[in-house]
Amino acid sequence: MSDREQTGRGIGRLVGRAESVLRDTLLAQGAGVVGAVGRPAERLLWPVAERYNRRLGERFGEVTGLQLLLLVVAFGGLVTAPLWGQDYLRPLTLGAVWAVFAMGWDIQSGYTGYISFGHSALSGAAGYTTGLLVLHLNPGLSLFVTVPLSILVTTVLGLAIAVPSLRLRGPYFSLVTFVTVLLFYRLTKALSEWTNGLRGIRVDVFTYDLTLQYYMVVVSMLAVAATLTYVGRSDVGTVLVAIRENEDAVSAAGLDPTKFKLWSFVLSAVPMGIGGVLLAHVNAGVDPQTFVIVDNSIQMIAMAVIGGMSSILGPLGGAFLFVGLRDVFLVGLGEELRWLALWLLVLLVLVFARDGLFRLLWRALGALGGDRR
Amino acid sequence: MTLLSVEDLTKQFGGLVAVDDLSFGVESGEILGLIGPNGSGKTTVFNCIMSIYQVTGGTVRFDGTDITDDKTHEIVNRGLSRVSQESNPIGSMTVRENIELFTFPNSIRSLDGGASDEAIASYAAQVDIEDALDDDPGSLPHADVRRLEIAKALATEPDLLLLDEPFAGLNQTEVRRLSEQFESFREQGITMVVVDHNMRGLMDLVDRVVVLHNGQKLASGDPADIVGDERVQDAYLAGEVSAVQ
Repeated sequence: MSDREQTGRGIGRLVGRAESVLRDTLLAQGAGVVGAVGRPAERLLWPVAERYNRRLGERFGEVTGLQLLLLVVAFGGLVTAPLWGQDYLRPLTLGAVWAVFAMGWDIQSGYTGYISFGHSALSGAAGYTTGLLVLHLNPGLSLFVTVPLSILVTTVLGLAIAVPSLRLRGPYFSLVTFVTVLLFYRLTKALSEWTNGLRGIRVDVFTYDLTLQYYMVVVSMLAVAATLTYVGRSDVGTVLVAIRENEDAVSAAGLDPTKFKLWSFVLSAVPMGIGGVLLAHVNAGVDPQTFVIVDNSIQMIAMAVIGGMSSILGPLGGAFLFVGLRDVFLVGLGEELRWLALWLLVLLVLVFARDGLFRLLWRALGALGGDRR
Repeated sequence: MTLLSVEDLTKQFGGLVAVDDLSFGVESGEILGLIGPNGSGKTTVFNCIMSIYQVTGGTVRFDGTDITDDKTHEIVNRGLSRVSQESNPIGSMTVRENIELFTFPNSIRSLDGGASDEAIASYAAQVDIEDALDDDPGSLPHADVRRLEIAKALATEPDLLLLDEPFAGLNQTEVRRLSEQFESFREQGITMVVVDHNMRGLMDLVDRVVVLHNGQKLASGDPADIVGDERVQDAYLAGEVSAVQ
């Protein structure tokens, strides 16, 4: 071994050691402080959690007192946002839209392990359906027509991607989704006579009342979150996770993996359609750069990863964190540095907290509840 | 009544003939032993029956129906279940959840359709793992992981169980206990085909034996006759005859 290699290994070991000492110390300190505050709080809140568990635990999962507190605070924060955060309504609205995307991605990719790199093609399909309808058919078309049609087109596109590709194992599915989104992006430019190319299509906003718009988006997001949480905890969710862990065992259990994988794509395409329509109206238009570009697919994945894949609520939290950093907290860094910091964060979560930050938080709160869970 | 019939089954991998024009039947209620040296094609036969592999030629009939081209999950739902040589429980689920998965209906509309806790406990109890229901499969000893595989197969409510090396890695006491349990499965009306290398355990358990050699049927008949068959001794049993007799 050369001197340089030896030095390299030495440094590697040193860094590794420092990292583990640092982590252990921080965790121990953190646990001490949090435990001192958390345990009494947990004792106080437990009776409420118990009541929740009796009524809804079976459907949406059991919680400890502190976990319930987190949910209630987050929910309360969202609902009261126009009172405390008028300046942040725009990023919060966008956060909610992206949360729909991240959850939609999660129920398919996060749960089944068939990772899609092309989900922005689905949200794009919804946005463009709405855009093309109002541009070419009738600008005054009612939302009651455009919204269901956009979701329908998204679902059909989803199935068109899924039917041939989900039968394949290994990387083929991911490659198919990846190429699809590249193709879609080029199509929006190639068909610019119809799509106005990079300029995109103007779509009316839902309303100029930003508070009302915020509530429309947040209510949609909460509906998607509740539905997908419920589905994720049902038999269907269990089978999807089993497909990720061991697809052969699913067949051996008498369950058709292909059928469930296709279903996961439908479960995913519907929220992608909803999110796509929301984004088109919130942005007052649809164009390839804000909708289709493959970076958007990667951002959805990043949100799910930061929050914690295959947990639905994790990606929801991840989306708000990601959009918050992107559009509020890191704006001061400037365009380039901001993105560098964001992707670095994603990388760090992937390496050091693969289960996601919100799942870690959830578990930490759960641990304070002791063995009552 | 013949429950399973394998007719002229052939399976080739490229130029290699793994199963060569093999025919045998399994009578309802019997325990059939499928034996043969390593590489004789026993597991391949199971994989062909379960449609893990597509057959090159021949037919598999179950309860009179041609299931050769059925998909694996369809075959399972017809009442045929297989316990693999490898244990592959899902690590992120408890023992109970692993068994429950095998009771789910094959329906995307099923939100809460698995077996009741009592039913799951009874599948587990048939192989003595009812106390491990809330454990993670990763924390179980080897023998219990194997038992979990059998409990999962039982949870599909099979008429016919294909057991691939169920005794591998078990000690004598465990082998005896498992053989008793297989007997009790039979009393419940489950027919079984057992592949194994443990000749002693197998010969006591099975009613009839089919011997495979190079993918072909070398002999079949009563366990005692098979042990005495010279061709079988030459091909496979030579080193183990003393252990059997």
